[in-house]
Amino acid sequence: MEPALKILPDVSGEIAGRSLEEWNAAYVKVENYFHALRIRNKPLLGQMVLRVLERAQRRAAAEPGRSATELAGEEMDKLVTGWFAEVLQTSPAGTDQMLSTRGRLALLLADMPGKWQDQFLRPGPWPLEFVVAMRESFFRAGPDFQLSKMTPRPLDLGPITTLTNFGKLPYVRMALVWILFALLLVTVFWLTHDGFGRVKDYFQEHFQLLLDWFRQNV
Amino acid sequence: MSDAPNISVAAAPRLRRGGRLFLFYSSAVLLTGFVSMLFADLLWRTGWSASRTVLLVLFIVLFLLTAIGCMHGVYGFFIRIFGTSRRITALKNFKEQDIHAVSTAIIFPIYNEDSMRVLEGLRATYESIERTGQLDRFDFFILSDSTNPDCWIEEERRWSELVCDLDALGKIYYRRRLFSEARKSGNIRDFLNTWGKRYRYFICCDADSVMRGETLVDLVKLMEAHPTVGLIQTVPALVNAESLFGRIQQFANRLYAPVFISGLNYWALDFGNYWGHNAIIRTEPFMQFCDLPQLPGRKPFGGQILSHDFVEAALMLRENWQVWLAYDLEGSYEEAPQSLIENAQRERRWCQGNLQHGLVLFAKGLRGVSRIHLIFGIFGYVASPLWLAFLLTFDWIYCAQKYTGLSDITVQSFNPYLKNWSGTAHALLIFTICMTVIMLPKFLSLLDLARDWPRRTAFGGLHKATISVIGETLFSTLHAPLLMLWHTRSVLTNLAGITVGWTTQKRDADGTSWLYALQRHWGHMLIGLAWGVFNWKLDPGLFWWFTPLLAGLVFSVPLSVLTSRRNVGARAKSLGLFLTPEETKPPLELVSLRSRMKIHHLTEDKSPHFCVHVGLAAAVLDPYVNAVHVSLLREKQLNPVYAEHLRKIGAGTDAVREFGEKLLAGGPGKLKADERMAVLADQGVMVWLHQQAWLRPDEKLAPWWRAMIREFSQRV
Repeated sequence: MEPALKILPDVSGEIAGRSLEEWNAAYVKVENYFHALRIRNKPLLGQMVLRVLERAQRRAAAEPGRSATELAGEEMDKLVTGWFAEVLQTSPAGTDQMLSTRGRLALLLADMPGKWQDQFLRPGPWPLEFVVAMRESFFRAGPDFQLSKMTPRPLDLGPITTLTNFGKLPYVRMALVWILFALLLVTVFWLTHDGFGRVKDYFQEHFQLLLDWFRQNV
Repeated sequence: MSDAPNISVAAAPRLRRGGRLFLFYSSAVLLTGFVSMLFADLLWRTGWSASRTVLLVLFIVLFLLTAIGCMHGVYGFFIRIFGTSRRITALKNFKEQDIHAVSTAIIFPIYNEDSMRVLEGLRATYESIERTGQLDRFDFFILSDSTNPDCWIEEERRWSELVCDLDALGKIYYRRRLFSEARKSGNIRDFLNTWGKRYRYFICCDADSVMRGETLVDLVKLMEAHPTVGLIQTVPALVNAESLFGRIQQFANRLYAPVFISGLNYWALDFGNYWGHNAIIRTEPFMQFCDLPQLPGRKPFGGQILSHDFVEAALMLRENWQVWLAYDLEGSYEEAPQSLIENAQRERRWCQGNLQHGLVLFAKGLRGVSRIHLIFGIFGYVASPLWLAFLLTFDWIYCAQKYTGLSDITVQSFNPYLKNWSGTAHALLIFTICMTVIMLPKFLSLLDLARDWPRRTAFGGLHKATISVIGETLFSTLHAPLLMLWHTRSVLTNLAGITVGWTTQKRDADGTSWLYALQRHWGHMLIGLAWGVFNWKLDPGLFWWFTPLLAGLVFSVPLSVLTSRRNVGARAKSLGLFLTPEETKPPLELVSLRSRMKIHHLTEDKSPHFCVHVGLAAAVLDPYVNAVHVSLLREKQLNPVYAEHLRKIGAGTDAVREFGEKLLAGGPGKLKADERMAVLADQGVMVWLHQQAWLRPDEKLAPWWRAMIREFSQRV
């Protein structure tokens, strides 16, 4: 375990060229991340945050253009990923961009927040049970694929199929227009050959009583 | 499929089934014929007309449906008294079957559901199987089609928690489709295409299903004992209702269903039906014969088959596989809507699917019994407009009779026994017969309860059960006209190809709110009032005949609100009303489910400010949720179908990386919904976003992220 934070503010109230507020923001960010990893033990949490900040402060003098939060964030990422590489026995050298994902998944499946908080970010050797739990954890959404292809068998709907495609039949729309035209002619013929009279009689016969009733009652 | 038997199925003997079908339906037709003659005679006594012919035809159709329902009750009642050997559980000694080499998948297709409830139901089922010692024979699959990113991430989170909790890695799997084509049937097809060949059987559950371990093991043993059976459907008991509406439905389901389903099994036998869930299916024939084709033509009949279950059973039967109803297997549960409006929403979805069966009816090669099942499904909805048409035609005839000046003096009945009866007495006789036919199954169910002491106790005693039946009958009388109007609207709009959208239900802490009920029911109230005034003016005597129907419409708002209330449901429960066996003696699975749900509700933060894009925030910020999410995306790449889908979405392209940058700098509001989904589907971008969100100083992040980081670290 590396020593805890040693650097104190200088006379101008700054640490490694950054204000205390800036370091405070960095502290909060790193602490939030460890919170998100469900590190609930306060002394452990504090120790981890300070360890990250110390590493950031070491870099701070050489990189004056970077904010404390950025430096702390990068150091936190390096520290955690490096530790994953050690525990999972993988190379940390940027080849596997999924290392962080694998590591976090292993932490979840090994139940680090519940059982192994004290081992997190601790240099090896680690308890065998913890190492086995971390290395043998793998997540699978399903068993091995056994791919196949279902193929629908068409339903023979018989003549009804023609009906469902009626609108697509050639010239159907044209024929419908002609039929409508023919109906119009029939209507005109009927109305001009005493049709109006019949309609009038029908209304007088059937609806006059109804109208009278409505006038009286409603 | 390594452990699947060869498909060689003998056709089931037809004579017995044919005889039963003839006897059963002849009883209904005979009753309908007798009552229709009486009704025709009544119409003839006031002078025949074209509208009376319409009325008679409508009466015959509606009465036939009622008589068939009644016969289910009558036959079921006697079967329960005298017993029957023609049920799947009695055919062989299936309990002795060895299933150690049999693999079965239990699948939960879900779509934007409450993942907490889904997974707790799964947990209860899993633990129940574990207690049988047969857990190794089963694998569980959550098959998500969720399109809401928050639901998607929540499902992944809860799944990983459940897997860790139960130490069920390699037992409970999660898969989300990137494109939810062909809805639920497409979801299941995708599962079968990917893993189907690993399993001899699969058991399809609904999002709210819970099944007892012994029942699941029995289903597998039954399938093993009967190699010609393709599908066994259980009869799910409605459970966990809290509102008065839900508890009434639950009570009716538990009291009446055993009698009705026994009647159904009498004529269906091995030509049963599939209801879409809580059923075991033989994988190979299903994969071979039950992939659903697109129907020709346009909506509402053409296109993708929406209600797939009936059709899948029909296709299975067409290929000589048997479909049974295991109606006497207990331990199969589901939940029901908790209010009238939720129920109507579900009915509307089902209506569309069932109407579409109107086209499937004509498919060549289907069994006659399958066509009967399809017709029943269709008439479950079409009966409502027919009933409305019947009532309107009746009003029309009454109106015309009164105001056209025609005599309303009736002639003598054609029937020698009714010669001296007045028209009113004649009408009353028909009304009494109709009411008897409607009520008889309920009465028989009560009688069935009376002769079964343990069951009687489980329903809170015969006295309480009788009062509950009366209450249920009153409620369903008021509910029926509302269903009539809802179904009529659904049928007409579906036939016209109009999609009527529903807004999400506005529930207050305890059910439907008054305002929402008013928005949904004002039309019903108006129709009820107008119809009432019209009938009153027409004839106050007629008005009183219509009061049960009109009351349901006029008082629809209070009916809807009050029956959705949990406290009213609880009050009825404390009075011993509408009790069901699962309430008086809850099985272990349901006790576990309820207590876990209660703990979740008490402990989980539901602060509204954390609800917008909560899934996205968790997927980016939570180190574990992000890891699970990315791992699942990575695994998707191994399946060529999913890899192609990911490519279509644009995963791995610069465009998605740009969306990611925009997301960090501007917050999720700066992206469109499909852009957010593209980001969530890109494993590289998700890893990068997680890193960036925690590495970047606050000033380089959108205020939304800063707030989320603060909120998030306090929450975890």
